[in-house]
Amino acid sequence: MSTGFVSANKQAEILKDQGNLYFKKNRISAAIEAYTEAITLCPKVATYWTNRALCHKKRNDWERVEADCRTALEIDKSSLKARYMLGIALLEKNEFSEAIKQLEKALDLSRGGTSDMVEVIWSEVGKAKYAEWEKVALPQQQKQKALREFCENALREDYKNSLFRLGSNNKAQSCGALYENIEDEMIDINSSDFLEIDKTTFEVSKLKSSFVEKKQTLDDVFDKAAEYYKPTEVPEFLCCKITMDLYRDPVITPSGITYERAILLDHLEKVGKFDPLTRAPLQAHELITNLAIKEAVKAYLAEHAWAYKTY
Amino acid sequence: MSSSSPKGLSRIAANRLHKELKEWQMNPPAGFKHKVSDNLQRWIVEVNGAPNTLYENETYYLQVDFPENYPMEAPQVIFTHNPPLHPHIYSNGHICLDILYDSWSPAMTVSSICISILSMLSSSTEKARPVDNDRYVRNCRNGKSPKETRWWFHDDKV
Repeated sequence: MSTGFVSANKQAEILKDQGNLYFKKNRISAAIEAYTEAITLCPKVATYWTNRALCHKKRNDWERVEADCRTALEIDKSSLKARYMLGIALLEKNEFSEAIKQLEKALDLSRGGTSDMVEVIWSEVGKAKYAEWEKVALPQQQKQKALREFCENALREDYKNSLFRLGSNNKAQSCGALYENIEDEMIDINSSDFLEIDKTTFEVSKLKSSFVEKKQTLDDVFDKAAEYYKPTEVPEFLCCKITMDLYRDPVITPSGITYERAILLDHLEKVGKFDPLTRAPLQAHELITNLAIKEAVKAYLAEHAWAYKTY
Repeated sequence: MSSSSPKGLSRIAANRLHKELKEWQMNPPAGFKHKVSDNLQRWIVEVNGAPNTLYENETYYLQVDFPENYPMEAPQVIFTHNPPLHPHIYSNGHICLDILYDSWSPAMTVSSICISILSMLSSSTEKARPVDNDRYVRNCRNGKSPKETRWWFHDDKV
């Protein structure tokens, strides 16, 4: 190695330290300048790019955040900061599925990190998934609503027409009354011809019960379809007893109880080496990922994507 | 919802307290009422003495304060106003109950604490202050929290 190269390295490190100092003092332009110089001297150091990206992030300059993070990742695929910031930048640009991909990679990289960091990344993943779902769900919900109204009208129209047809075959004067009472319990017909009325009443009640039945079926079908969009209670068996939230990274203890990994590790470190529910002695190395529950949560979220809102 | 989380609570704490409050509202523990307020970090809970116990028809108030890193740390729970006369409740409202201190577990909730406190009241056979009440209360002046003073309790094992 030539001495010139070494001094460039050293100089770049000094510039980075200066940049960090400026950043701490909230002098973002000066920090960006320092990092840019460091990059010019040593373009193959990922930290210089992620530090500059952090400055751009502070200014909500998402295009530049994205560009710097992508470069950092070309240098170092395992840069957690680059993955995380790239995910956020893509989320800001409404590129949800790409954002989710990056944030999930960040999650993998953060395993074993502090619970606060894992928590922040998870909540960004949840935000991205909810936004992605909402983008599809809202128009779909509108379409269903419109179709439902259309079908209901068509059904009512069909009922009305059948009553009219019946009316014109019988006494014309009863038509008005039949039409008015289309969905009422009592059919009020003003006519003196009792025989005719009996026959008409029978026909009318037949039409009516057919209408009511079809309407009920229609309601059932659309209610069922609407469930996908309607937030309800998340089942307790898919929630950690400590976070009270859906499991993200569930682990099972020798007592057979499942907890959220990050919070349980926190507990073991800060509260004590015992199972929070059974109080049986517990060490971190005894925890096993609960893959079955993980799959169950995944399946639940696929059916109830609104639950990502608090994920 | 999370945007309204109070400054003093971590994200995890605020999230969990929202859940606990929601669960409480749907399914409150028998004998307790949560006084509605905007303050997620301090709950005031009304306690009604259970029928056929020494505290029947009596009403008390608990003040529950949550630390920033709840539920990794127990909330501070004390009686306000006129604390019930009980061998494990000091006249300043401090409660000698192990789950509030060394035996806390993050799987416990406000609900489960309330149930413990009520069962402590219900099982009491005499209405009296702890034997060391005066000394303890004197030592607690200057607004000491029961969490700082727990080792002064006359009997830590309840």
